[in-house]
Amino acid sequence: MGGVEDDNEPASKRIKISSGVLRGLSNGSSCIEPISVSSIDLMARPLPSEGGEEILGSKGVIKRHEFVRIIAEALYSLGYEKSGARLEDESGINLHSSLVSEFMQQILNGQWDECVVTLQKIGITDDSVVKSASLLILEQKFFELLDQEKIMDALKTLRTEITPLQIKHNRIRALASCIISPCLSVPLGLPSRNSSDIARAKSRTKLLEELQKLLPAAVMIPERRLEHLVEQALALQCTACTFHNSVDKEMSLYTDHQCGKDQIPSQTLQILQAHTNEVWFLQFSHSGRHLASSSSDRTAIIWEADEKGSFSLKHQLTGHQKPVCSVSWSRDDRQLLTCGVEETVRRWNVSTGECLHVYEKTGHGIVSCGWLPSGNCIFYGVNDRSICMCDLEGREFDCWKGQRTLKISDLEITNDGRQIISICKETGILLLDWETRAEKVIEESQTITSFSLSEDSRFLLINLLNQEIHLWSIQGEYKLITKYKGHKRTRFVIRSCFGGLDQAFIASGSEDSQVYVWHKSTGDLIGVLPGHSGAVNCVSWNPKNHHMLASASDDRTIRIWGLNNLSTRHKNSHSNGNHSCNGGT
Amino acid sequence: MDVDPRQYEPIPIKDTDVHAVVLSYLVHNCFKETLESFTSCTGMKQPSGCLEDMEKRKRIFHFALEGNALKAIELTEELAPDLLEKNKDLHFDLLSLHFAELICSKRCTEALEFAQSKLAPFGKVQKYVEKLEDFMALLAYEEPEKSPMFQLLGLEYRQQVSDSLNRAILANSNLPSYSAMERLIQQTIVVRQLLSQEHGKDTFAPFSLRDYLKS
Repeated sequence: MGGVEDDNEPASKRIKISSGVLRGLSNGSSCIEPISVSSIDLMARPLPSEGGEEILGSKGVIKRHEFVRIIAEALYSLGYEKSGARLEDESGINLHSSLVSEFMQQILNGQWDECVVTLQKIGITDDSVVKSASLLILEQKFFELLDQEKIMDALKTLRTEITPLQIKHNRIRALASCIISPCLSVPLGLPSRNSSDIARAKSRTKLLEELQKLLPAAVMIPERRLEHLVEQALALQCTACTFHNSVDKEMSLYTDHQCGKDQIPSQTLQILQAHTNEVWFLQFSHSGRHLASSSSDRTAIIWEADEKGSFSLKHQLTGHQKPVCSVSWSRDDRQLLTCGVEETVRRWNVSTGECLHVYEKTGHGIVSCGWLPSGNCIFYGVNDRSICMCDLEGREFDCWKGQRTLKISDLEITNDGRQIISICKETGILLLDWETRAEKVIEESQTITSFSLSEDSRFLLINLLNQEIHLWSIQGEYKLITKYKGHKRTRFVIRSCFGGLDQAFIASGSEDSQVYVWHKSTGDLIGVLPGHSGAVNCVSWNPKNHHMLASASDDRTIRIWGLNNLSTRHKNSHSNGNHSCNGGT
Repeated sequence: MDVDPRQYEPIPIKDTDVHAVVLSYLVHNCFKETLESFTSCTGMKQPSGCLEDMEKRKRIFHFALEGNALKAIELTEELAPDLLEKNKDLHFDLLSLHFAELICSKRCTEALEFAQSKLAPFGKVQKYVEKLEDFMALLAYEEPEKSPMFQLLGLEYRQQVSDSLNRAILANSNLPSYSAMERLIQQTIVVRQLLSQEHGKDTFAPFSLRDYLKS
């Protein structure tokens, strides 16, 4: 390119970094003022090539110069340096002001004293930021000097430049120790004493990255800012997506993400007929591979799913003399508890179907049961208003008697094992701290018929007499969050549950024989599933397969619900429903 | 309120015991001339062979107290050759005294070199690391007396180290490393404090040695 001297120094002589952070045409002209930068360096002047508006976008919130700078940064991050430079040129907007470019170059060249001076000139208003940045730079200088065995110089830097910054004494100690003992620097996370050029260059690049995070964003734009903004937008689209129920959805930048209703189970996949009377309760196991149902025919049934997701009867558990009102899976899904109405609790081995133990309270009937999180103890509610805890062999070791309760029916325990939740009066739910025996009550305005606890123990879903379902947050202060309406309940106990991806949905049974599904946060009714011919008493959402729902009905059957058109699609496991999101299927 | 004198007055104290206590104190602190006149006044026998050693010990103690740790180490090696080998902690303390001395006289380069050659090897053992770091931190300050570690440069620290050295030498020569006087006073204080606690504040005031000596 001719004999001009400048051309003999190709840009690649500078240490190449992937982010291209150091390019910015320092032709001295920059017209843009990032807010915290002193205006001495930057002068606003109209640019010929641009002739455009300062504010972009239909909402009037995007500033042109910020927009262009972010795009330039993105181009450099992607490695398109020529395009980045061309953009800066054409728009007349520099990615970095000339001072900042100088600063960055000085860092990469190791011109420490100069760059501390430049740092001051950049004019950052926050003193603590300037101090932290200076410290980072000086520490790098210190370590590089130690690296080069210039111990006295390093010591001088420490004494005259670093200590006067009045940083924490522990830091000073650590630095001082590094002088005699290189092995101490490693646990401190400080650069290792590697004296090769490459290592030094790498650590300077790292220093630049740290400074970038430290300095105000307008001075040095954070790396990959544009990517970050786009990811934010995508995340927002996801939260706004009402029917979002699959983990494996691909998101495209071309259209807003919006799942269709086809993500919610809406079609009966299977009808399970084995009970000879009303099915009152059912629940999936934690692994989602089993379903346990209980009925007024005095039995409970364990159903097992095969690889295709089809359920078949595994064991029918007989022994109760009364209708079985609830079941409870142990944490490891190997054991099941069943509870007869005001009768006994039985513990069963899931794989063999044999009854391992019968728990009873002489003279009284048990009405509800559950496992303690440890799995070594169970607790149950008795119709004399008490809640008891016993070990697996039935030895009772703790008991609490309620003051106001009539019959402790529904009973749950939080994940940390600290709180027992039950209905304590017609319109109240009791949260009992088991250790302190402190009682807290959630007051409702109507009679409560049943409740259920979310998987993370943060929410409570309460079914009321007046056909509403209320969602309460029980983390911290108790607050009523949403109400769900639409289903029918007049005479019986109907149960509802949480389900779907991140438990974003609520499902409930109903006396009109249908299953109702709502969106948890908005409260919108998004699905009504007909099919049963009797009141639907209970629903359970498969915890591992978000596209599967099960319902138990007075018509003596259990229905398994899944996605529409799923049967034609699935070859492999039932936990996969691949749909493209751009509208086409 | 004080302890009822009738409880302790009847107890007989032999003169010879008192003399022994005083003697041990004098020996411990190397008061050679006082010791000589005391023994001649009381007609006691002088403890065998300790006078010469006492002289040496006194010199060592004073060198350490002044901060001339290297000299102290040298003489200690002469007097008791494996002492410092067996007492690594003490050795480290003495070396660090020298380091502190160098820092005080602003000879930083020397201090650094000394630290690298003599102190750094101790850094391999975990229990010395913290102390080593304390000392090294002194290097980072242009005015170490104003740094958080300033006590390491002070008289109190030197006193502490010198005392330890003294005790180690005594122990090495099979002499008691604590004078009887010291022990007795310590025990008295503890006993008095226990009495105060047991009988409650109303019966006995908390014991203060200083007040007692003044009264």
